[in-house]
Amino acid sequence: MWKRNTSYNMTIREKITAWEPAAEWSAEGDGMLTVPVETFHDLAVRLKREGFDFLRSLTGMDWGEGRFGAVYHIESTATGENIVLRVFTPAPDKCGLPSVGDVWKGALLNEREAYDYFGIQFLNHPDMRRLYLRDDWVGHPLRKDYDPALNPLRMNNEVSQDSTPHFELMPDGSLIRKREVIFDEGEYVINVGPQHPATHGVLRFRVSLEGEIIRKLDVHCGYIHRGIEKMCESLTYPQTLALTDRLDYLGASQNRHALCMCIEKGLGLEVSRRVQYIRTIMDELQRIDSHLLFFSCLCMDMGALTAFFYGFRDREKVLDILEQTTGGRLIQNYNVIGGVQADIHPDFVRRVKEFIAYMRPTLREYHEIFTGNVIARQRLVGTGVLTREDAISFGATGGTGRASGWACDVRKRHPYAMYGEVDFDEVLFTEGDCYARYMVRMREIEQSLRIIEQLIDNIPEGEYRTKTKPVIRIPEGTYYSAVEGSRGEFGVFIESRGDKSPYRMKFRSTGLPLVSCLETIARGAKIADLIAIGGTLDYVVPDIDR
Amino acid sequence: MTNNSYIKGFLHGVGSLLTGLKVTGREFFTPKVTEQYPENRATLKMFDRYRGELTMPHDADGNNRCIACGLCQTACPNGTIRITVETVTDPETGKPKRRLARYEYDLGSCMFCQLCVNACPHDAIRFSTNFEHAVYTRSKLVKTLNKI
Amino acid sequence: MFDFSIVTQAIHTALLSIMPEGLAIFLECVVVGVCLLLMYTVIAIVMIFMERKVCAAFQCRLGPVRVGPWGTLQVICDVFKMLTKEIITIRHADRFLYNLAPYIVILASVLAFSCLPINRGMEVLDFNVGVFFTMAASSIGVVGILLAGWSSNNKYSLIGAMRSGAQMISYELSIGLSILTIVVLTDTMQLSEIVERQADGWFIFKGHIPAIIAFIIYLIAGNAEVNRGPFDLPEAESELTAGYHTEYSGMHFGLFYVAEFVNLFIIAGLAATIFLGGWMPLHIPGLDAFNTVMDYIPGFVWFFAKAFFVVWLLMWIKWTFPRLRVDQILTLEWKYLVPIGLANLLLMVIVVVFKLHF
Repeated sequence: MWKRNTSYNMTIREKITAWEPAAEWSAEGDGMLTVPVETFHDLAVRLKREGFDFLRSLTGMDWGEGRFGAVYHIESTATGENIVLRVFTPAPDKCGLPSVGDVWKGALLNEREAYDYFGIQFLNHPDMRRLYLRDDWVGHPLRKDYDPALNPLRMNNEVSQDSTPHFELMPDGSLIRKREVIFDEGEYVINVGPQHPATHGVLRFRVSLEGEIIRKLDVHCGYIHRGIEKMCESLTYPQTLALTDRLDYLGASQNRHALCMCIEKGLGLEVSRRVQYIRTIMDELQRIDSHLLFFSCLCMDMGALTAFFYGFRDREKVLDILEQTTGGRLIQNYNVIGGVQADIHPDFVRRVKEFIAYMRPTLREYHEIFTGNVIARQRLVGTGVLTREDAISFGATGGTGRASGWACDVRKRHPYAMYGEVDFDEVLFTEGDCYARYMVRMREIEQSLRIIEQLIDNIPEGEYRTKTKPVIRIPEGTYYSAVEGSRGEFGVFIESRGDKSPYRMKFRSTGLPLVSCLETIARGAKIADLIAIGGTLDYVVPDIDR
Repeated sequence: MTNNSYIKGFLHGVGSLLTGLKVTGREFFTPKVTEQYPENRATLKMFDRYRGELTMPHDADGNNRCIACGLCQTACPNGTIRITVETVTDPETGKPKRRLARYEYDLGSCMFCQLCVNACPHDAIRFSTNFEHAVYTRSKLVKTLNKI
Repeated sequence: MFDFSIVTQAIHTALLSIMPEGLAIFLECVVVGVCLLLMYTVIAIVMIFMERKVCAAFQCRLGPVRVGPWGTLQVICDVFKMLTKEIITIRHADRFLYNLAPYIVILASVLAFSCLPINRGMEVLDFNVGVFFTMAASSIGVVGILLAGWSSNNKYSLIGAMRSGAQMISYELSIGLSILTIVVLTDTMQLSEIVERQADGWFIFKGHIPAIIAFIIYLIAGNAEVNRGPFDLPEAESELTAGYHTEYSGMHFGLFYVAEFVNLFIIAGLAATIFLGGWMPLHIPGLDAFNTVMDYIPGFVWFFAKAFFVVWLLMWIKWTFPRLRVDQILTLEWKYLVPIGLANLLLMVIVVVFKLHF
């Protein structure tokens, strides 16, 4: 291959060190590069130009002694190369970081989250409101010196602001606070959610309409915010596992898989092949479960209530299989550190095979009743187009990204468990519209069946659980593991200080990027399209709000 | 050309609608999947791994295997379990001995993570498959598991 | 075939013998009105029960089974529940119009309902432009819906009402065209007369191709006219929560709900009357024994059987298809149904002129 410049063979770490001599490498855990804040924005622009166009995760941090900052996980979609950057705020009392929302659009909501949790003000961020907590919240809860007594339960309503703060850095180094208007007086703003049949939970939008056409859309998250990341900081590692099932409840198995993988990576623990097989099969069953629910809910949103029941009828069969082995339907508690909670049920293999035999013809039925239907096509084809660039920029992984032509499947990008050894296709569409997003999921059910078929007959013998020490302590360092959740990349970031509970645990939400790109997709669409778009983006709200 | 596609599209659309009607029409006459819950109580059996509520099995003499070590209490992320320990003198050896006085379990705050069962060194507690938990007051959800 | 007018005549003469004519007619009107309202309610209850059972059967469920045998008392209990619920008044609503709207909707529905010829001699309103009157009366309903959406002071309601206005006014056209096709065939607009002309064969058979096309257009447009899926945009529960009746509670909501179901019955009943021979029994030429047996079945049984069959068809459609979008609904009407309806009308004229019908 023709090489554009001589630096092509250098790793990105070497390149950054060449650009920024002040960058420091710390090798604990996964290792990361600390870069100076003054030139961080230029570095981000440069990285983007080098092909690092996917911001996997942005984590706000409080390193103690008044040192705040953020950790950025960045990947190049072309080469698959990864880099982790760390930036400190300029001074302990000054909480300003340059916003990289103009480089990676997905950073916008993540920066709001970091502001909400840590009070880090991102300069030139167009919308520096809190993301999850109320606007009248006192203090920033994930700061280590936060006092919960500051915020008693408030009994008054929160009034939605029509304007938003915005911070700019003056040449003399001081911050000025401006306000930007979101909705004008005369706009016809309707409130969709948090109690609304089509928001799949308690997500809330404020939508400015012109007739039936959407002009602006403003997302309000946090109605089911439980502070899971904060809770994790006071729980032991095995205890944190119980919370992951409650993030994306349709990806319980995969979420917990990611956390177990991350902890096992920190501990240097190898799990047996039997466990890898079981985890892979469980993840795929979970994916089928989630996609069936996706089909059902999309049909319901589109008004085809009967198809909804068909999807649920068949999902019940998956849930029965899961329940028999794990003891739970939504909250399965199956993966544990070093293995799984219990060996697979003696009936498991038989039932899974029966299910596969049942599911294939049923999928045809779905296509007959909904996919082929002229009304469904009219409503899905060509509506809510997300371009590939936008999908990457927002970090909209999962079916949404693949519908836009972005090969973002973690199972292919960073194979884990058995995914490196099984044969399956990454379903890709290029249209990026609602129909492509829908079809990706329907095809993925077939692929999941295919993966399970390859594994189910040759689950190797072995122990289903490696014994671990009674108290688990991860060596000091930072760790990031990701799995392909039901609706995208689900990542776990742990910063450990060698204690029995994590110093900081961050979950890369699969739903937050999907919600952040909603405004771009829905602008100019009709109000009925918003429902189709929301349905095909397939977000799960507890996973967004955490 | 456009006329052709207009008619073709129209016929194709009608065809797809009829296909949909065929599927639902078939479903209209197939047996239904609804389970009639309170009526089928006698035959309804949960999977044996189902986590309904925490129980402490007792043998025929009313003894349990709990040694009041408190590991389950420490393992619980929610503070669901409260163990009260009493010290009694062993009638045979005459030495003081720790014994379980009360094992309180708050079903209302349990999140069924199974960490307590995993932590128990003597297999003294396990989850039962009972799923009918409805009670009228919250205090009734706090259960004493050991027989006193 | 039993003629119900014998009964009404007998009652009339009996009343005349004991009171002056004016009083007798007044009394008869009151009795007829009460009977009509009673039947209206009964049909509403039956329809709601049917909807719940039929939709459950399509969705692999059982539907209501707890209250009464096979859940038959469920709807009656729901009616009582609805009656006992509080009617909540909305702040900043236009109180007068807000309270008036459900009554306009129900009035339109009752008026159209009273036009249906149920049996020979059992029509309440029957005159020479009966078809026009039915359509005119049923279109008053859209006024009620628009008022409800406007006066509720709710943005969802308003959008629902606007959609409803656009939709119902458009689909009136297709209904009119498809009925006109049959009027061309019968050369009468009196509903009882239309039924009588079908004694030797229902119009859907007599008019063959154009009549079948008109029947299908009528079903689609009729479905849209009563705001039922896949044309339920004005309420579109996943978009507008409940559309124009979002802010209504208690019996005010109940009136909308009942009117929706009876309107569906009216559409089906009209279809039965115009296309399927109303209360005329099924006759197959040549099978005299069969025809005599069919004649023993009373007319109203035939009418209700046909009407409920059409209702079942419409429910089948509703519970199969996803909802259309507002622009697609208008596209369907103006780009497909109206041109096809016009061409079909022309075809029927040709059929009638050249005596190609049976």
